[in-house]
Amino acid sequence: MGNKQTIFTDEQLDAYQDCTFFTRKEILRLHGRYHELAPHLVPMDYTNDPDVKVPLALIVNMPELKENPFRNRIVESFSEDGQGNLSFNDFVDMFSVLSEMAPRELKAIYAFKIYDFNVDNYICKEDLEKTLNRLTKEELTPEEVNLVCEKAIEEADLDGDNKLSFADFENMISRAPDFLSTFHIRI
Amino acid sequence: MSDMTEPATITRPLISSKRHKSIRKNSRRIYSPYQDENGPSDDEDKDGERVDSNDPEELFQNIQLQKEIIANIRTKPWPIRRKLKVLKQAREIVLKFEGRLTRTRGYQAAGADLLKKISRVLYNVVVLFIPWEMRIKKIESHFGSGVASYFIFLRWLFGINIVLTILTGAFIVLPELLAGAPFGTIRSKTIPKEHLSSAQDLDTIWSLGGYLQYSVLFYGYYGNVRKIGSAGYRLPLAYFLVGMAVFAYSFITLLRKMAKNSRMSLAGASDENFTFCWRVFCAWDYLIGNPEAAESKGAAIINSIREAIVEEQEKKKDTSLAVLISLRILANILVLLSLAGSIYIIYFVVDRSQKLEQEKPELTLWEKNEVSVVVSLITMIAPSAFELVSQLEMYHPRTSLRFQLARVLVLYLGNLYSLIIALLDKVNIMSSAIPVAPGNVSSTSYLATISQPTEDNLSTIVPDITERQNSTLTMTLLDLNNSVTTIKSTASYGQPMRMQSLLNQTVIYEYNTRSQQDPCWETYVGQEMLKLSIIDMIFTVASILLIDFIRGLVVRYLSDCCCWDLESKFPEYGEFKIAENVLHLIYNQGMIWMGAFFSPCLPAFNVLKLIGLMYLRSWAVLTCNVPHQQVFRASRSNNFYLAMLLFMLFLCMLPTIFAIVRYRPSQYCGPFSGQEKIYDIISETFANDFPLWFSKVMSYVTSPVVVLPALLLLFMLIYYLQSIARSLKVTNSQLRLQLQSERTDDKKKVFKLAAGRLQAPEGADKKPEQESDITSMESSARSTSPTRPNGSVVNFESPVRHGNSIRTITQSASRADVSRAAGAARSPGAPVRQKHKAEHVPNRHSGYLGGSGSSCRSKSYHHMAYNPSTRYAESIHSDPLFRKTLRPMHTEPGVIMAQSYAGRRAHTTRYVIVNEHEARKKMRSTVRLPRHYRLADEPAEIVELYPRNVKRYIPRTPHRSHQPHLSEEEEEEEEEDPKSSTRRGSIRQSQRPRSLSDLHQSARFYIGDTVDSQVSMEQGLYGDEEDDDQDEDWVNDSAHLCSQTNIPESTCRYGEPHVKSKSKHKVEPSLTESDSASLASSSDQQNSSTDQYIQIIHNKEKYLKPGTKLTKKKSKNSVKLNVSASNDLVCSNV
Repeated sequence: MGNKQTIFTDEQLDAYQDCTFFTRKEILRLHGRYHELAPHLVPMDYTNDPDVKVPLALIVNMPELKENPFRNRIVESFSEDGQGNLSFNDFVDMFSVLSEMAPRELKAIYAFKIYDFNVDNYICKEDLEKTLNRLTKEELTPEEVNLVCEKAIEEADLDGDNKLSFADFENMISRAPDFLSTFHIRI
Repeated sequence: MSDMTEPATITRPLISSKRHKSIRKNSRRIYSPYQDENGPSDDEDKDGERVDSNDPEELFQNIQLQKEIIANIRTKPWPIRRKLKVLKQAREIVLKFEGRLTRTRGYQAAGADLLKKISRVLYNVVVLFIPWEMRIKKIESHFGSGVASYFIFLRWLFGINIVLTILTGAFIVLPELLAGAPFGTIRSKTIPKEHLSSAQDLDTIWSLGGYLQYSVLFYGYYGNVRKIGSAGYRLPLAYFLVGMAVFAYSFITLLRKMAKNSRMSLAGASDENFTFCWRVFCAWDYLIGNPEAAESKGAAIINSIREAIVEEQEKKKDTSLAVLISLRILANILVLLSLAGSIYIIYFVVDRSQKLEQEKPELTLWEKNEVSVVVSLITMIAPSAFELVSQLEMYHPRTSLRFQLARVLVLYLGNLYSLIIALLDKVNIMSSAIPVAPGNVSSTSYLATISQPTEDNLSTIVPDITERQNSTLTMTLLDLNNSVTTIKSTASYGQPMRMQSLLNQTVIYEYNTRSQQDPCWETYVGQEMLKLSIIDMIFTVASILLIDFIRGLVVRYLSDCCCWDLESKFPEYGEFKIAENVLHLIYNQGMIWMGAFFSPCLPAFNVLKLIGLMYLRSWAVLTCNVPHQQVFRASRSNNFYLAMLLFMLFLCMLPTIFAIVRYRPSQYCGPFSGQEKIYDIISETFANDFPLWFSKVMSYVTSPVVVLPALLLLFMLIYYLQSIARSLKVTNSQLRLQLQSERTDDKKKVFKLAAGRLQAPEGADKKPEQESDITSMESSARSTSPTRPNGSVVNFESPVRHGNSIRTITQSASRADVSRAAGAARSPGAPVRQKHKAEHVPNRHSGYLGGSGSSCRSKSYHHMAYNPSTRYAESIHSDPLFRKTLRPMHTEPGVIMAQSYAGRRAHTTRYVIVNEHEARKKMRSTVRLPRHYRLADEPAEIVELYPRNVKRYIPRTPHRSHQPHLSEEEEEEEEEDPKSSTRRGSIRQSQRPRSLSDLHQSARFYIGDTVDSQVSMEQGLYGDEEDDDQDEDWVNDSAHLCSQTNIPESTCRYGEPHVKSKSKHKVEPSLTESDSASLASSSDQQNSSTDQYIQIIHNKEKYLKPGTKLTKKKSKNSVKLNVSASNDLVCSNV
């Protein structure tokens, strides 16, 4: 327990451990990663809660996110301002939700946010189309995309409003066999 | 929280109830995941100030609540800043107020805190020791969760093996080493003299003989002394218990893991399938961080989505079934043959090695390792063969993967089983030599006899027989009746030895033991299993190096100097076959379980093996493998691997248990030597080392009196639980049904709602349009109206020629026309007719003009409108010609059509007309809702109706138009009802756009129509609205009929927007006829124009007749409709 006290106070570490699914070591490692992103911006000493934010462009280039088609959405969903600028807190939060330990419900909430491109609290057809196009790098024909979107909505839409509310989404995702294992970034 | 504190100030009785409520509220708030974005933080802010009451209960509740918040905060979807804030506040509150509670509570809290801290520290420490975290992470980022799941599974197995190793090491191996008799002191722990010389030879060691055979590695080394060391450690008992504990532990961990997984994935229980959703939302593996992997994953996702689409589109694919079935049968036969072959080979090899051992004193290296090498070879080669075979079957990749897995699993099991059965067979023979011993009076004598070399020779059998007789004699002498019977039953080995023993009782025991070679079958089995495990490891390493590494090297460095692309065609890079590798792990673990009882160090060895495998595999994967194309989805949340492992565990436990129960332990080696059965150690311990009462109790418990009812009870329990599970399943499915039905109901409702909404807005939209139209119409009407009174001709002409102005006017005109027409009609009843004639001519011109100036279409409204007006005139004319007979029917349908259009569009219809090409689509959409609008539409509706009618009638009209005999036609027309003429007019309208000829036709109609139209217009003016409504209704009814019959052709042929737009829905059928007509008309255009004039003239004369007819036959309303329709029709023609 007694290593690297300079970055965080014990209290902070405890608080982080209470608020996330990380261990002390992982939090320190996360800080290291965060620091790497913008060495000139991020101080090594976090004991006084500096208000530093790393812009989206830098975060998106992390190897963990670089290949992810939804990287921008992920970062945006976790940023407090919605623009993708992450403070260290947001950063920790993001990886906490994406960690292995996070419960399905929590993951589902954020997955919903990520797939809700237009932030209207519904996954509508445009969102689905965007999702699909990012997934497939637009290799599907518009007809195929259309069909898949319609089918997907038809499958999961419980209340028949032709878009997926969070309830629909959660119901669907909670039955997905590999949502938990795929919606997961190990850091 | 805020709620909670308030009650404190209120009277006491209220407090508790309110508190509960508030707690509930709070908890609800806490757990409601998504909505409560703002609530909690505010509450928390207030909390700090509010928790002031001194009521300890209150405080306690409050603190509990805060603690709950602290405990659950990490699972809440709040931004972390708020989390931190809330956490801080909650902590402060807890700290501040906890002291106020009673002392015990304070201590409790402190204790709990301490516990929590310690557990956290422990957790932090434990995490440090989770091996290969970064390595697996790296693999995950390269290949995604699929490949990583193999390594995670491997790591999990590693953990299990560590525990097993600790179990056996701590309770068996260590005590034996520390306190047991040292090496060389006991017979079972010394190497026989004749083997001593070769005991250190490499090949002896390699085949686990020599020093290794007489070491803690194997069962035979352990002493049978009941208590060892100064502490009196009961090694045999421990050996037995640990042997069982290995299985018990494996079962428990496996089942717990499975239970946990199934709890995590709700998917297990439901067969609900969100194929597309899952493929979209769960497709991307967020772990992937490697460009290549991302690319292949993207390709895989596209494939899977396409696959889903294809499956959706054609649920069934039919290929030549006969061929396929025969191929599959062939494939299965091949697989079965190879399975049988492998089993036979293994059995044969074991048998051969046995014989070789008996016949040859010195075995070559190959001969010693033959069995395990063959088994490993089979396990390596057969899966690839199966894969080849499975290509024959042409299953869906997923299905074929499952088949492959099942086959490989069966193969592995078959291998293990045939091996163990062959071994046990051998054991049977070996141990059968010994079993005689206990039956004999003097066990010592047996030992002596065993020592004699005769044991192994089968040849002794013959002498045995002779000896038997002797033996029987001797035995009788010795009164060893029991032994005789046993001897007979026992195998040939035993007998000779026996005989000799009996005969040579004088032989010294020690001497014999020295020279003898212990037939320690347990050690033998352990040796075989360990050997198998080692060879398996070697083969794995070799295959990784050869198949993956060398191949990778070759592919990478030789691809340049080869004539084809090595990387993408033949050898490629090795794929990492997750499923088969996992199966191999399972197989490996099965070997361990099977052999662990006989070779206590097997788990330890397996630990080493797994470590090696981990590094080697991860290295190979990262350097020379590409991800498998068909990713087999079996991740942590999936119990597939575990289920297979459980299956394996169970099946591997069986032989061990069987051997323990069935066979007599070796006489001269191992912890259980000298016992009848291995498990006797338990009863013996009970008998000797426990107080008397305990053994009595045990004897009761194990007696059938207790066991049978217990079994029964178990069965009952199982049955009960199963029935409960079944009923739960039923309710589950019922609930799902309910859900589905509600879902469909909801959908229906929503559709209705949506439809309602759609209609409403359309209506609203149309209203403004109507208004605008009206205004335009008014303007147009004004412009036209003045002309009209004078002569309808003027009106028509002006719009037509002007084009733009006309267009605008026309649309408005549809309504305006009516009014105008009405006005016109009113003023000049007969004169109008004449005027009409005149009009017709100009109209036609205008129509032509409009047609020629199709550029005007943008303004098409007006054009259209004019045309319709002209047309309707025409149509009117035509109608009389054609339809005297048809009138009622045709007119009605036409009207109906018009109505339907009108219904929707009274105003909108104009639009349609204008844009006709574009409008068609709109029309369709609008068409659905026509009735609602009817009332509003009034004149406009009528217009629309006409076009439809026109189309319907067109077919007839065209004939006429084609025909040069205008006069005749006209005459006919005259005879016909005005209604029919209107229809024709509508038809013409549809035709119009196509050709001028249509116009001609229409012109003719007009003439006839004009009269009607005038009449109708007059009527319309007076009672347009009312009439329209009525008309619409009846029109609707009839319209469908008409539309069906006439519309389709016209649409097809003309392909022109006008026709289609209106026709599509209802008009289309009518079009067919109209089309033909239109074509003809088009061809005749020029002529027709002239013809039209002529016709018109004729018509004029006739007008009166049809008009009268119309009025008489049909209600005025219908006439009006026709008129208005005619206007519309004109528009459409444009």
